[in-house]
Amino acid sequence: MSKLWQRCLDRLEAEVSVEDLHTWLKPLQAQESGHDLVLLAPNGFVRDTLRERLLPVIEQVARHLDPALGQVRVEVGSVATAPKPAASGGRNNHAAAREPEAFESNLDPHYTFENFVEGKSNQLGKAAAIQVATNPGRTYNPLLLYGGTGLGKTHLMHAAGNLMRQNNPGMRVLYQRSEQFFTAMVKALSNKVAGSKAIDEFKQRYRSVDALMIDDIQFFAGKDRTQEEFFHTFNALFEGKQQIILSCDRYPKEVENMEPRLTSRLGWGLSVAIEPPDFETRAAILLSKAESKGMALPDDVAFLIARRMRSHVRDLEGALNTLAARAGFTGRSITAEFAQETLRDLLTVQERAVSLPNIQKIVADYYQLRVADLLSKKRTRSLARPRQLAMALAKELTEHSLPEIGDSFGGRDHTTVLHACRVVRELVATDGRTREDWDKLLRALTG
Amino acid sequence: MSTPQLPLGLRFPAHQRLDAFHPGDNAAALAAVRGLATQVGAPWAFLSGPEGAGKTHLLIAACQAAGGRRALYLPLAALGATQAEDALAGIEDADLVCIDDVHAIGGHRGAEVALFDAYNRCRAAGTAMLFSGRAPPGQLPLVLPDLASRLAACLRFVLKPLDEAARRDVLRERARSRGFEVDDTVLDFLFRRHARDLGALLNLLDRVDRESLAAQRRITVPFLRRVMGLPSRER
Repeated sequence: MSKLWQRCLDRLEAEVSVEDLHTWLKPLQAQESGHDLVLLAPNGFVRDTLRERLLPVIEQVARHLDPALGQVRVEVGSVATAPKPAASGGRNNHAAAREPEAFESNLDPHYTFENFVEGKSNQLGKAAAIQVATNPGRTYNPLLLYGGTGLGKTHLMHAAGNLMRQNNPGMRVLYQRSEQFFTAMVKALSNKVAGSKAIDEFKQRYRSVDALMIDDIQFFAGKDRTQEEFFHTFNALFEGKQQIILSCDRYPKEVENMEPRLTSRLGWGLSVAIEPPDFETRAAILLSKAESKGMALPDDVAFLIARRMRSHVRDLEGALNTLAARAGFTGRSITAEFAQETLRDLLTVQERAVSLPNIQKIVADYYQLRVADLLSKKRTRSLARPRQLAMALAKELTEHSLPEIGDSFGGRDHTTVLHACRVVRELVATDGRTREDWDKLLRALTG
Repeated sequence: MSTPQLPLGLRFPAHQRLDAFHPGDNAAALAAVRGLATQVGAPWAFLSGPEGAGKTHLLIAACQAAGGRRALYLPLAALGATQAEDALAGIEDADLVCIDDVHAIGGHRGAEVALFDAYNRCRAAGTAMLFSGRAPPGQLPLVLPDLASRLAACLRFVLKPLDEAARRDVLRERARSRGFEVDDTVLDFLFRRHARDLGALLNLLDRVDRESLAAQRRITVPFLRRVMGLPSRER
């Protein structure tokens, strides 16, 4: 850090607002080059803003402090600093963004199959990932894991990579988020100096691995050149019997603006859906995470959180960490009451959204019915099933009693509601169509 | 050659320090922010709460407290979604990044993707992040579920605004630090007229301070009315 710049900053603190100071000035790096002061901005936007708004005052202060100063220049760049120690429990702590040679170590060792909590919603995905990791390139190629965000796809990918390297330490396994692939490609294409050599290196880098894992390929949507490049990479790897593992937030054919020839290839291997965890799995995940953190989590608190939070694993983990942090900072022990209090703040809107009228409206819209019909005495099949689903959702998502729910559905008896809950539970377990409806409605209602 | 003379800088005293934060019910949030600002590897946090609960204060205070580490404050509402997208590039080079007003980019897919990418790059680079928004991550109007889910992985604190008695104490203390006193009549007036937003009240006080300095006046209700641009008599 330039001494002059440090002195400038001390003076500038009095000249600009504290927001401006921390947004535009303090984050800069500075170098003295001959008589010039060179300020390095993280991006072009900061550079342009500085030039437009703040350069005059910076120059004035700098010149005041050093009358012999030449120019003050603002450029985009950064001074190489020592690599930062990774955040505790952080992901990719082995500098995933560094040079290509380092790719062998870019797997996160924290993710293993042992600490992946298995439930009905994800056991197929786990089994497939273990198979692929045990026999890379031979069983399912590609392996595609798809499902909503925060359900453990990334965990399974890293776990598969770690197992491959445990079985065969020489194996070159490259994990990348789709954005890293895209950025690397753009960089290679725009490298005017190295020209085609840069592109060859890019291709070589991705095609020379034993296993390639690309996370969240839905972000390739609409990026034609990236898709094309990935298509060729895919073909090369596939022909070379190198393992490919991909993840996507939905079934790839449902992603808009994806090349059909690419999505059809993705179906050549095995595609496995990762579903949101059910109640038991959510509770098991919480208990397992708490144990690995050395945190005392009573069962009833785990059940409470699992019951109240039904979205995704990351959400659960965040809630658990928040609970631990609040307990630690306030010196209180984690009881059901304490958890209730913590969650109340985080969940209020969600709670409000799931009211009986809300459930009726969403279910009616979903099946393109009128709410009045849903609540009517009519018992045609096209009405009965949606009505049963709505009643079961009301039981699942609200604290209302069976008679209350019955009342709100046109004055039905509580045994009717109970029957509906049983029917729906059975159908969800046995009938794919109902299960899909149930999941979609649950998601629509709980966000 | 003579040294160019500097104009008298308008002094912006840095009130937004961790020590100057009145925790009220928000002690756990304050501790988490302090951890992020001063310890490498502290867990990331997301602060939510209504206007005036102290979100911006804590984010800026975290930057102030970061000491020799490089901290960056990005107010997404002030920047606007389009500029926010550009401003998020390359931020992972800093040691601590504080992102204010995440709700402001809700619905702007490009900016949401940019924040999602920045989140991932910061994770990979070991850069700490601290976020704020009007609502907790699960309740923000975001269109990118990937971003909402990443934010939900943070420690989440819902800041509770200080009660009126505590807000009065803060205002009195601030006035005193500026060398003037505000009596109860003035405070009553401020609370009746002005938003319950403490940040806005403090800004008003700063303005009052500057104007009273220029006008050499005692802080009275009529004087306040003038600074606030109100007609001179209350009906």
